[in-house]
Amino acid sequence: MRYITIALSKGRLTELSIDLLEGAGLDCSELKSNSRKLILSDHKNKVRFFLAKPADVPVYVEYGAADIGIVGKDTLLEEGRDLYEVLNLGFAKCKMCVAGPKALEGCMDTVQISRVATKYPEIARMYFRRKRKESVEIIKLSGSVELAPLVGLSDVIVDLVETGRTLKENGLVVLDHIADISARMVVNRVSMKMENERITKLIQAIRAQLK
Amino acid sequence: MKKWNLYTPEGVQDILFTPCAFKRELESKIRNAFRLNGYMELETPTIEFYDVFAGDSGLMRQESMYKFCDSKGRLLVLRPDITVPVARIAATKLKDKDFPVKCFYIGNTFSFDELGGGKQNEFTQAGCEILGANSPEADAEVVAMAINTIKATGIEEFQIDIGQVDFFKGLMEESGLKKDEIEEVRELIDLKDFVGVEQVMDRHNVKTELKTLILDLPKLFGSKDILETINYNHIGKRAANALDNIKTILDILADRNLDKYVSIDLGMVQSMNYYTGIVFRGYTYGVGFPILSGGRYDTLVSKFGRNLGATGFSMGINMVMMALERQKKLSNPVKEGCFISYEEGARKKALEYCQKLIDKGIPAQIDFMLKGVDEGIEYAQRKGLSSFVYFYTDGSRKEISL
Repeated sequence: MRYITIALSKGRLTELSIDLLEGAGLDCSELKSNSRKLILSDHKNKVRFFLAKPADVPVYVEYGAADIGIVGKDTLLEEGRDLYEVLNLGFAKCKMCVAGPKALEGCMDTVQISRVATKYPEIARMYFRRKRKESVEIIKLSGSVELAPLVGLSDVIVDLVETGRTLKENGLVVLDHIADISARMVVNRVSMKMENERITKLIQAIRAQLK
Repeated sequence: MKKWNLYTPEGVQDILFTPCAFKRELESKIRNAFRLNGYMELETPTIEFYDVFAGDSGLMRQESMYKFCDSKGRLLVLRPDITVPVARIAATKLKDKDFPVKCFYIGNTFSFDELGGGKQNEFTQAGCEILGANSPEADAEVVAMAINTIKATGIEEFQIDIGQVDFFKGLMEESGLKKDEIEEVRELIDLKDFVGVEQVMDRHNVKTELKTLILDLPKLFGSKDILETINYNHIGKRAANALDNIKTILDILADRNLDKYVSIDLGMVQSMNYYTGIVFRGYTYGVGFPILSGGRYDTLVSKFGRNLGATGFSMGINMVMMALERQKKLSNPVKEGCFISYEEGARKKALEYCQKLIDKGIPAQIDFMLKGVDEGIEYAQRKGLSSFVYFYTDGSRKEISL
C-alpha cells in the first residue's frame, strides 16, 4: 500500500488538526513528539505527515506532493489553487473583511477607494474587481495591517477579523464582509481518484467528529 | 548589455540526450497506437491568429497566450492547444464527403500558466479527434483510444473518469438559477466545495429533490453504480438524456473489456467551456495533474462556420514522462552501437567496415581522435556503445564486446 501524505499548517491550526486526525484513528504520536524530523509517519495506517507554512500547504497539495492538506480558507482564497475542498472543519473561525476609519461607515457605495493595504493581495484584488468594479492600488504588508489607514498609507484594509477588538481600539470599523473563514480539508484532484477509498474513509471519520 | 544570453526563458527547457531519446520513443509508441486504430496524422501551424482562440465565448484565457504581431499588425498567438486549430480545419479545409474523419497530432503547445509539477510553458501534446460523428459509439471509441494510448506509454495503473456536462446544464435549467449563479455553482462543484454549493442553493427556492441532488453533485463520483442511485423523476429531460448517454457509452466500453479502467464523476464540470457532452480525464500515480483530458465539443466547429459533431482528447507527453519517471518505468537506454578505431595505415579498411555496419542498420561510428586501444575502449564505454573494433596496419583486427 502507498503512503498517503498529509500536509498540516504550522501555527494555530496545528493542534486542532492533530486532534481530528487522532480522532479519526491515526497515530500522531510522532507528530506530537516535538521531533526535528520534517516528515513523520504512522506506519500502521501508512500515513505520513508534515508541517508547512500555511501558504505552502495548498501548493504541496496541488502538485501532489501531499495528498491531503489542512489549511485556512483565507489561504485557499489567496492562493487560488486547483484543489478539492472537501470539508469545513469549523475551527479557527473568523471573517475576511474590509475595514477602515469610522467616517467611511455607511457610505461605501458612494466613495471611491484608491488604496488598500492587506496581507491578502489576491483576495483584495478579487473583491474590488468583482464586487466593486474598482481598480485599486494594493499595498502588500506582512503584519499589523490596521496601522496603514491610521498613518495615511491606505484608505482601507482587507484583513481577517476575529473579535474586532484590534479594530475597535484603533478607531476602525468593519465596512464590508468578504468571506467566512475557517479551517478546511483539501485533497489533490488526482489523489481523490487514485486513493478514493482510503481518502473517503478518512473524510467520513473526520466528518463524524464535527457533528 | 547581454544579460540573458546564458538562459532559456521561463517554462521552456532543453531536452538532452537520454530524456530526448526516451521522449521520441514514447511519441513513436503513441503514433503507432493511433495509426493502428485508423487515425491519420496531421500538422497545424505553431502560430495562429489570435482570433482563432479568442472568439466571443473566450475559448482560452487571454492572459495565458503568448501573443505577438505579424508584419501587418495582426495579433498572432503561439497555439495554446491543437484541438481548436483542428476544429478550424474541419470547418474550412475538409469536404463534406470526407466525414467522418479520425485524425491525430503530436506537437508542441504554449501557455503562460503556472509552472511546476510537470507543467511547462512549452509542452508536447498528443491527441486525436473524431470529426463528424455524433454517436455514443464515437465517444466510446475516443475513450477507448485514450485507454489504449495510456497503455502504449507503459503506464499500467491508471483511471479514466467520465462526466457529462449536459447533466449539470440540465439540472441548472430545472433549478431556475441565474446565469452568473450557475457559473458560481459550477466553480464550487468543480472544487468539490460542499459548503459553498449549499450557501448558493439556500438563497433559492429550488425543489427539495433537485436541491438535494445538486448538493450531492460534488460527491457523485465513483463506480457506475452511482448512476443507478439517481431518480429520473426530478431532473428534467436534458439531464436524463445525459445519464442515458453516459450509460450507453459505459455499455460499449464494457463490450470492449475496458470498463475496469473507467469510473464516473458527475461533478466533473471543468472550466474548458467548449465541451457539450461527455468529458473525461485520465489519472495515474506520481503526478498531481491529469495526464489527459477530452470530451465531446459539438459547438466548437460551428464557431468556424460548419455544423459538425466532434469528440476527442489530448494527452500531455511531459506529464506522462514524469509519471513514468516517478513510477520507475523509465527503462535504462540499451547498449548498442560499435566504435571503430585504427592504427595508421588501416584507415581505409576501418572506414569500409564502419560503412558496412551502417548499411546493415547497425549503429557504428569511426574514431577521429586516434589515441589507441585503451582510450578507444574507454570512450566507447562512456558513450554506452556495445562493442569496439580496432584495425591494425598488418590487416588484423581486434573485437571487444563491452
